[in-house]
This record gives sequence, C-alpha cells and structure tokens, in this order.
Amino acid sequence: MSESILEIRGLNKHFGPTYANRNIDFTLGRGEVHGLLGENGSGKSTLLSQIAGLYRCDSGEMSVNGEKYDPHSPLDANARGISMVMQELGVIGSLPAGVNVFLGRTGQFSKGGIVDLGEMNRAAAAVFEKWELPMPRLGRLTEGMSIEERKMIELARALSIDPEILLLDEVTQSLSLNNRNRLYELIAKFRDMGRSVIVITHDIEEMVQITDVITVLRDGEVVGRVNTKDTDPDKLRMMMVGRNISGDYYRDDNVPECDGETVLEVRGLSVPGELEDVSFDVHAGEILGFCGLSDAGIHSVGKAVFGLTGAAGTVHFLPTDAYIKSAPQALANHMGYVPKDRDNEALMIHANIRDNSVLPSVNELKGPLGLLAPGKVSSLADGIVKRFSVKTTGIRQPMDALSGGNKQKVNLGRWLAKDLRLLILDCPTRGVDVGVKAAIYSLMKEAKKTGIAVILISDELTEVLGMADRLLVMKDGRVTREIRRDEDFTEQAVIGVMI
Amino acid sequence: MPANGETRRMKNWVFYIIFAAVIAAVLVIFHFISGRQFLDWSNVKGIISRSAYPCFIAWGFCFLFACGYTDMSIGGVVVLGSFASCILGNWFGLPGVIIGGLVVGLLLIFINFLIFTYSGIPSWIAGISLAMIYEALAFLLKISKGTKALISTSLAKEYRILGQLPWCLILLLIGFVIVYFIYNRTTVGLNIRALGGNKDVAEKLGINTKKTLLFVGLIAGILVGVSCVLQQSYAGQTTVKTGLTSINMIFQPLAIYLLAQIIRERINIVVCVPICAFILYSIFNLLTMLGVPSGTLQEAFLGAFIVIFGIIGSRKVKGVVK
Repeated sequence: MSESILEIRGLNKHFGPTYANRNIDFTLGRGEVHGLLGENGSGKSTLLSQIAGLYRCDSGEMSVNGEKYDPHSPLDANARGISMVMQELGVIGSLPAGVNVFLGRTGQFSKGGIVDLGEMNRAAAAVFEKWELPMPRLGRLTEGMSIEERKMIELARALSIDPEILLLDEVTQSLSLNNRNRLYELIAKFRDMGRSVIVITHDIEEMVQITDVITVLRDGEVVGRVNTKDTDPDKLRMMMVGRNISGDYYRDDNVPECDGETVLEVRGLSVPGELEDVSFDVHAGEILGFCGLSDAGIHSVGKAVFGLTGAAGTVHFLPTDAYIKSAPQALANHMGYVPKDRDNEALMIHANIRDNSVLPSVNELKGPLGLLAPGKVSSLADGIVKRFSVKTTGIRQPMDALSGGNKQKVNLGRWLAKDLRLLILDCPTRGVDVGVKAAIYSLMKEAKKTGIAVILISDELTEVLGMADRLLVMKDGRVTREIRRDEDFTEQAVIGVMI
Repeated sequence: MPANGETRRMKNWVFYIIFAAVIAAVLVIFHFISGRQFLDWSNVKGIISRSAYPCFIAWGFCFLFACGYTDMSIGGVVVLGSFASCILGNWFGLPGVIIGGLVVGLLLIFINFLIFTYSGIPSWIAGISLAMIYEALAFLLKISKGTKALISTSLAKEYRILGQLPWCLILLLIGFVIVYFIYNRTTVGLNIRALGGNKDVAEKLGINTKKTLLFVGLIAGILVGVSCVLQQSYAGQTTVKTGLTSINMIFQPLAIYLLAQIIRERINIVVCVPICAFILYSIFNLLTMLGVPSGTLQEAFLGAFIVIFGIIGSRKVKGVVK
C-alpha cells in the first residue's frame, strides 16, 4: 500500500438531528486516485467539504502528512495544499474569468493597493496552459459563459494553488467528451506526479476507469473500501444501495421507432456562433438523441427549439400547426424543456418544492378568474413528491436544501405531471446517482410508450446510445450525421463523426 | 466562431466612436431646438456643476448595488451632511465646508453599514427606518432654538467655490480616477463585486464578507460625504421635509445609475456614470429652456427616456471584454 497523505479517523458531522457523516475512517494514499461512491445524500460531498475546510467537523481527527489537520476555511485547506472543485459552487458572473481564478487571493497581485490585472491574467493563463485546460477569454465576464467553461475556470482555480490533494465533486457531469478526456489526462498526470485525487462521480463505469481505490458510503457511513481492480460496476452498485441493481437500465432493443406521426419539424435553425442550418424531424414515441463535443452546439438546440434564443429558421409543431417562436408558446403547445444548468436555468433555487412544482402548470391549474387554488397547487406538488419519491421534509422545503438527485426529480417530475407531446431533456442525469438515473430512464421509456416525443441532448455518449432511437451527431454547430439505432450504433462510430 | 482579440477591440472602438458621435449629434440637436442657447459655455458650465453632486452618489450606488445592498437613507444623510457643511463652513471657511460634509456623510453611512452587516435586517427596510430617523433629526435641528438660526443661514458665497467650475470638475476628475481604480483594480473592489455576484461563493473562497461590507460603508460614506459638500456648495442651502421626502434626493442619482447600468455592457460602469449624469442634466436643461415645468412633467420625460434607453441598451451584446 502506498504511503498515506491524508488520514481521517472517527469523523462526524450532523446538521440538526440528521447525521451527514458518522464515524468515518478514511485513508488517502500518496499518488492515489480515490473514488467516493454513494447515493445522493449518502454524505460524500459533506466529507469532501470537511476536508476542504468548508464545514467544521463535529468530532474526529484528520491529519495531512502525519500532522494534525483542522481547517477553519478553504484558505486553511489551500495552505496545506488541498483544493476542491465543488459540484454546485460556480463562479462570480459579474467578474472576469481571470479574476475568478484568483478570487479571494487577488491580494498577491496587488502593488501599492492596485491589482495588476495583466499579471493576474498571465498567471491564470499559465495555470490553464500548465494543466492543458481549454482557456476561456480571461478578460470576459463569466456570466455569459457556458456551464462547461465555468467548470473549467473552477478547475483552474483549484489547480492555481498547485495542490497536493485535489478534490473533485461531480466535475465530469458538466463536461462533454473531449473535456472529460482532458480531465482524465489531468488526473493521470496528477497521479504520475505523486499527488492525490479524491473523486466523486455517479458514473460508476467512469469511476472504475479512473480510480485506484473506491470507498463506498451509505447513509453517512463507510460501508466498504475496495481496490478498483478487484471489483466491477455491478458489485459497486450493490454495495452502494444495499441491494442488487442491474447495470442494464438502458434499452436492450435495437429497433428504432421513428416512423410514428411527425410531431416536430425543424428547418434551418440557426443561432449566430452557435447553430448553423440545423434541420430534423421528431416523431411521436421517438427518443431523438443529440451528441457532440463541447463546441458542437448540442445544448443550443434545446434552447432554440423551445423558443428561448430567437433563432432563425422554423420550429413547426405539427399537432397544433404552430410555429414556435417563444417559450410561452412552446409551453402552450404541450412542449416541455429540462435545461442542463439545473440551478440557474431550471429551478427557483431559494423557493420551495411547491412553488417550483407548479410553475409549468399554472395555466392548467388557474381558475376562471385566473386565481390558483392553494389546495390544487399543494396536491400537484404532493403528487410529484410521492410519484418520484423525492427525499424531503415536505413540499414547503426550499429547493436548495435538496440533494442534486432530488432536485432533478422535482425538475423532471413537474414536466411529466403535464399533458406533454414533446419533451426536451438536456443532460437529465447530470449529478444524479445510479438509482435516480435508473428512475429517469424508466420515466423516459414510459413517456415513449405513451407517445411523447423526446429530444435527448447529452454529454454522455453511453446515455444517448442507450436510450435514443436516432442519433444526430453535431460538430461546429451543424448536424454532421444521423445514425439510427439499427445501424452502426456504437461509441466508436459516433466518436469518429464527432471528432 | 468567437471573434479574436483584434476584432473585438476593433468592434469596441467602433462602438465608442458611434456612441460619442450620437451624443455629439444629440447635443447639437438640443442646441438648435433651444434656439442656439444650449451649447453656450455658460449653459454647459451650469450642466456640469449640476451633475457633480449626483455623480458622487451614483458612484456610491455602484458599490452599494455591486455588493447586493441598498441604502434608502442616503437622502437623509445628504441633508444632515449639508447642514454640517453649511454650519462649519460659515464658522471655519472652506475647510469647514469640506470637513463638515465629509465627516457626517462618512460617519452616518458607515453606521448604516454596521447596522446592515450585524443586524441581519434587509438593507432596504433598515435604510427606510434610518431615513425616517435622519429626517426627524434634521427637522428637529431646523426648528430647535439653538440650531434654527445656524441652519437657516445660507453658506456664505465665498465658500461655495467647490460647487462651481473649475473646482467641481476637478473634484469630479479626482473622484473618477479614485473610484475607477477602487472599483476595478483593487482587491476590495473585486471582493465587493464578488459579494454581490454570489455571497456563498465569495464566502467559500475565503472573502471576509463582513469586512468587505464595512469597506463598502467606508467608500460609499466618503462618496456621499463629498456629495454633501458639493450639494451645499452648489445650492447654498438645504430644504428639510419629513415623510420620507429625502428619498426624492436620491431619485436622480438612481436614474443616473440605471442609465449607466444599461450601457455597462459596453463601457465600464464607473465611466458611464459621469456620461449619464451629463446626458440626464442636459435633458433637464433643455426641457427647462423649452418651458416644460420642472418637477412632475420633467420627471415623466426622464422616465420615458430611461425606458427608451433601456430598450436600446438591453439588446444583448456578446463577447464584450471589460
């Protein structure tokens, strides 16, 4: 076994009456990539947050390089060579990318009280170059950047302290295939340099691919630690949820169902700098997949079809013969849209489950005078919570108190509670555990059976290959190839077109 | 495909040139509408002098809003600061004018921020309560036997030079340079903007939010203090009313801030403030020349102008470098 760099003994953390971590023992070896696996709410992020100095431990001990470690803040952790990229932290939109890399430490570029922005940007550029990360425009405000660009800035921020231990909480879920590969290379480089990484990801196959050791948590406790080479995804799933879960939650057929009634006819969809002349049809009961690398424009398709970007071209919704130009019009025509950036674009994060649940259904629920009956609203929200097994204290609980998976259940559930004809899903399983993932795929299959047309946009190739009837591969804002489920529907074939 | 740096710079310069040309054209139109009076130097001097005091408050708003707070008591603070400026000015001359306004402005705004930071009361609620207190205090000073005479006396004319050119312009230029660097190029400025952008992220990145908020109080306090000095120097006297009417005093600086906010996509907000102040007071000046009654009707024009400007400015521009 490699020499340990981080030792944790008997760590406890509780929030009110709820234990987030209980008697955690954990060892991280030098030059080790260590995975933390568990369902949403199992305490993985809390454990990383304690290591990163975001939360104080209630009891227990930590040591780094054999010396006592009790961080009071992330800056304390940074001083000991530990930095973290958090699942939902984000960047400050009103500040440029370069400043975001060194935020909280801008004083090091200050001369006579004035921050040398040029020097700061050069230092930020050096971090991006050193770790071979795609460099954004460092002088540009981050508010207009994609979730992927913002995640890369967060990664650069964590790397800018040249850490000995890097903590990554659900980072890959925000990345497309090319940047995901870059991150894997970075992790490998880190290991080669004798540094250590702790990774949280809900993608078990990915975890098996990139880690050396995996610790599994359940309900805040460590239930097992295994060497990755001695295990497989199915064993890990069982350890994680405490019961047998089959890995084949994707479709097992290879019969494309794309001959039903045409629901949507998209022609010449163009958004300057994002999409160029994109045309396609979607049929009832079909799952149409979109995939591509980070700048391919797949995420712009969902927004444009739902009338959010004022794109050129036509989006013809055939059942009502409507040409969709705006989101309210899309909503009125039985279309639904689940965006990738859950916290910023989909949910009112500080409002409660009840208010979030009712939002897409206000028109259906309002009475003759335009008033909403509180009983109906609560009943709808209760129904969503029950149907999708949302772990919550009640419908009045704020969204920001829920775990990522439970937020997504509400996000998706509120659309499926409606009478939809077309549902656009952009990375629907981002940041959710295997159980929730299976539930989401099952809901998609159910929607397909009832004749709902689904547009599935995803950064995870296995997901679109597993679920779609037809796949549109995009590159540089254009559709470059269409592949049907009964054709060459393999990762190799798709990657060949994407690159 | 994203534009390269050279193209972006070129686009920005094209925008600056067009923007300057449009403003120049509008001023020339104003000149002809007003019967060739608007661009008379004496008239332009008046507009600049009138713009100075609200400019400093609008810069104060840049810091307040950047950190996600608001302060409705600024009007009340300006009234009290102007009193102090007037009384001390008449006693000690120009140093009294400066010290009186600065000290009262700084002290009261800093106290406000101590309350916002440590009480946990939303700043707009606390600000309204404080505005009522400051108005009542000003009213008491105005009617009390001991202070009535002092406050009713106008500031002596020889001590009002800071409200006139070139001094108000010099103060504006100095203020601009200092505010620009603090807002854009200091750690505290960046931390203030981070706080308003996302307080949770800022805290998690080790920014001391309480200390940063107190810095906002300090900076905004100095800016409001300077505006007290300029207000008293320009007007010579300050009117006192109760019933939250002091909030009227911040309406025009607020309008300047809103206008600046609209074009900040293209031009740094600190630079936008004096430009917008000049545009705003040019409009008021023109309306007065055209015989439009000041007050309600002029404010209706102002409201319409902000809406039109907002519509033009809200056309999103991507790929802006700041």
